[in-house]
Amino acid sequence: MTTSPIGRRGFLKGALGVGALAATGSLAAACAAPGGTGAQPSKLAAPAASASSAKGEITIWNRSGDLFKVFDAAIAKFREAYPNVKVNHQAVDIDAKLANTLISGTDVPDGSFWDDAKIGGQAEHLFDLTDLIAPYKDRTSAYKLSVNTVDGKIYGVPWDLDPGLLWYREDVLDKAGIDPATLATYDDLLKAARTIKEKDPKTKPIHLEKTPFLSQLWLEMLANQQGTSLTDAQGKLRLDSEEYRRIFAWIQGAVKDDLVTHAPYLEQTDVNTLDNGQQVFVPWAIWWSFAPQQLLKNTKGKWRAAPLPAWTPGGARSGAMGGSSFIIPAKAKNPELAWLLYEFLCFKEPGYTAVYGPNDVYPGGLSTSIPSYTPAADPAKPLFKPIDALGGQDLWKVAVEAGASIPAAAPIPWWWAQSVDYLGNNMQRLMEGKMSPDQVISDSAEKIQKNLIDRS
Amino acid sequence: MSRNRPGIGQYVLLTLLAIVFLYPIWWAVSSSLKPAAEIIASPLSIGELTLDNYRAMFADVPIGTGFLNTALVLLVKGGMTMVFCPLAGYAFAKYDFPFKNVLFGVVLLTLMLPTLVLIIPLLLEMSALGWVNTYQALILPGSVDAFSIFWMRQTIAAIPNELIDAGRVDGAGEFGIFYKVVLPVIRPGLAALAVLTTMNIYNDFVWPVVAVNDTEHQTLQVVLATLAQNVTGNRIGADFATVWGELLAAGSIAMLPLLVIFVLLQRHFINGILAGSVKG
Amino acid sequence: MRLRSVRLTPYLFIAPFFAVFGAFGLYPLIYALQLSFMRWRGGSQARWVGFDNYLYLLTSPEFWSSLGNSAVMWLLIVPLQIVAGLGGAVLLANAKLRLRGFFRVAFIVPFVTPLVAMAQVWIVVFDQDYGLVNYLLNLVGLPDVAWLTSTAWSKPTLALLFLWKTTGFAIIILLAGLQAVPGGVYEAASLDGASRWRQFWSITVPLVRRSMAFLVVIQTLAVFQMFTEPRVVTEGGPYGSTTTAGLYLYDHINASDLGTGAANSFLLVLLVFGLSLVSVRMLRPKDEVS
Repeated sequence: MTTSPIGRRGFLKGALGVGALAATGSLAAACAAPGGTGAQPSKLAAPAASASSAKGEITIWNRSGDLFKVFDAAIAKFREAYPNVKVNHQAVDIDAKLANTLISGTDVPDGSFWDDAKIGGQAEHLFDLTDLIAPYKDRTSAYKLSVNTVDGKIYGVPWDLDPGLLWYREDVLDKAGIDPATLATYDDLLKAARTIKEKDPKTKPIHLEKTPFLSQLWLEMLANQQGTSLTDAQGKLRLDSEEYRRIFAWIQGAVKDDLVTHAPYLEQTDVNTLDNGQQVFVPWAIWWSFAPQQLLKNTKGKWRAAPLPAWTPGGARSGAMGGSSFIIPAKAKNPELAWLLYEFLCFKEPGYTAVYGPNDVYPGGLSTSIPSYTPAADPAKPLFKPIDALGGQDLWKVAVEAGASIPAAAPIPWWWAQSVDYLGNNMQRLMEGKMSPDQVISDSAEKIQKNLIDRS
Repeated sequence: MSRNRPGIGQYVLLTLLAIVFLYPIWWAVSSSLKPAAEIIASPLSIGELTLDNYRAMFADVPIGTGFLNTALVLLVKGGMTMVFCPLAGYAFAKYDFPFKNVLFGVVLLTLMLPTLVLIIPLLLEMSALGWVNTYQALILPGSVDAFSIFWMRQTIAAIPNELIDAGRVDGAGEFGIFYKVVLPVIRPGLAALAVLTTMNIYNDFVWPVVAVNDTEHQTLQVVLATLAQNVTGNRIGADFATVWGELLAAGSIAMLPLLVIFVLLQRHFINGILAGSVKG
Repeated sequence: MRLRSVRLTPYLFIAPFFAVFGAFGLYPLIYALQLSFMRWRGGSQARWVGFDNYLYLLTSPEFWSSLGNSAVMWLLIVPLQIVAGLGGAVLLANAKLRLRGFFRVAFIVPFVTPLVAMAQVWIVVFDQDYGLVNYLLNLVGLPDVAWLTSTAWSKPTLALLFLWKTTGFAIIILLAGLQAVPGGVYEAASLDGASRWRQFWSITVPLVRRSMAFLVVIQTLAVFQMFTEPRVVTEGGPYGSTTTAGLYLYDHINASDLGTGAANSFLLVLLVFGLSLVSVRMLRPKDEVS
């Protein structure tokens, strides 16, 4: 036993070995170059087959969970209309798999559900669906079209729209003598919050998000409301603008006046302060609706939804927060059949009714988003039912009306999630009073430009 | 020291630590028996108990298939590890041969390279072979792994050279020496290797998640990852409360077999690991 | 004839590894190495950029802070785990320990639990306002600690998760090392009047040093590549304080920024190689035990 535990010389020689290997590697490099096999995006044309003659088998991917079950039921409806199309519906870890599978190009699904934020970055591996969506284009949310359009081509079948709403405690506003209809601008909201705090100093009425990722997503909702987004269609950063400055100044004002509950989305602190009366206003996407339905106890039935306030008098009363669409990979085996399925789910009445209407999973219907296809989003023809946990409010009407006012945006850059390290974190500094709006803008813009855009 | 009777202080410390170590498991199992919404709203108290999460989980995810696939991968990949890694470790520990250190450097390199960076190229290779979504893809890449070879090298290096030379003098062949002299002596190290290999294969998810697509080939950890996507990261979704319930139910079920095996066999495992036959 | 076979034997013994490596390791390795000199996001546009990815990382404060975060985690985890793991292994190997089976199970089972599900326990238990840990602190009159939401405490809290999950692994490795300590040595030492501590230090430690060296290398690797824990519990925050080297790498790969990810990986390999070398040298005893 005279050798050292591993042997220092072994290590050093090992390192040399690695170097030698690297040298061989560069020889082999010539025959194994990444990229190279690039193809121009292929355009998918409308299938000629009629419903009864469409025949074949498709594999489509979805996230797991309740939504998977909802789609499962909707696919059964699709099979009634297209009896000869077999659908192999798979629940997979989409975030971990889809991009990798598209890049490798093997065993790709015929279609998949995907976050709008991811589509722009991998457009090259997807079918250009512009021609297929053309007949529905005029009746589809401008926002959804804009996030799915890269260089003038549409790559995703727009699915859900997630309008931002102002969630509020009806009973608290009532006691304070505030008519929710008067909350027309964000200044009105601050004023109402002050009034409520004067009556009950324990309240910190407005929810501000503490997780950097969600706070940046929330920021994009507020920016979208004003018709802007982090980058324009050419990928140029537009953070240094009046619109963003307005949002940051508002946050700063609310924090200074101690009007905010700064808590991470629906974790314990959030749930408890929502339920004990500390929080009164939650400006958030429609999917917050599941909190009163599933998580809150004392205040269940006391929350209501209204359109968001506007940033300027007469401005848009909503913005989008999150959302997903359906993509068809360029290497799909049966892209036409996948299109038929997605066309059915998004644009045909039996399809979208099966998704959003009452079903086994959600007896009252799926109320955490609304269709982005406007004929489906008719205020007079609700797909999901009024919600007991919202005191029987007709959330459908509020949401589709708000959704209709959402302005167009731009494709979401591939580096969006990485930019949270800068912008999302700086927003947290703003909320904690450690940064001014100007600092948030200049510091985030500089770092995003240097680390992400310049390296694209 | 190991021959001394532990004092009361040691028992108090061990007991406190044991409670701390077991608490998270207790939390996960007990939470899996609570109504889904309660897991988030009041995570530390236990009120009503229900099997709803388990019912939903069994209905929604192919956990049975996951078990079978994990068992299959464990058997084949674990078997390859147990057969080939001790041999390689022996060669690196007890032979001198040209390029030995360079070759061992390659072994260590494969150990140190993050799996994440290899996913795309490995997937491209699997594509070229037509192996995406197959058992080969789950089993072969990363089999006869560097971790196990490194461990075997460390274990076998502790054997006195005289023991091996004695075998050689007795006229045993090279493989005979390995089989008759080395293997019996490293039984404890092999027992540890068996435990570690089982756990490594059982817990592996980064590559399996991308290597297989359909339900038929999913291992247990792939099933768990598919569920977990809704509660990690962005948490944008309506159903993360119900998914939490299902994830904790699936997680509890997933750890059960190893837990039971370990509780029943810990004496054998650890005595196996401790079954020293080397006399200084 | 015989000599020839001896010469070939070791190559034969290591052949299975190199067969698998040749088939499934070499191509990905070369490919990744090549990627590290390219800008590629998975499409047809792949550009040779020379050392740009490396230079970018080496001049990026985020890269260095990810290394710094991992280095702090390493300091919090590895020394403690070696000491606690060795103490635990010695105790659990002691035939005179009552409830030995129970203690073995308690310390080793976290190793078999699925990480994504268990990480949630940390979010719940270390919650600043409602967590169990602060509740217990308050009971004994101590103030709340912002375990997961302050840059000062986030790393120790995650280090605890890592320690909880992997101490069983350390104990198994060290138990296997202990087998080489024959009982007779201790008895002889006791007769010599050596104190327990001295016995431990001069007999046990030198004999398990191979296992310890292995453990240090493996855990150095694991700490620097760790990404699931911070991704699930803190998303790398607050303010990047738990963005470990592994998570920083994950973020590149996850955004399909494959070139930067590859360069990042090779820089990590170099670093871990170097760190292992240093720690292995430090574990080398000054004088050998006969």
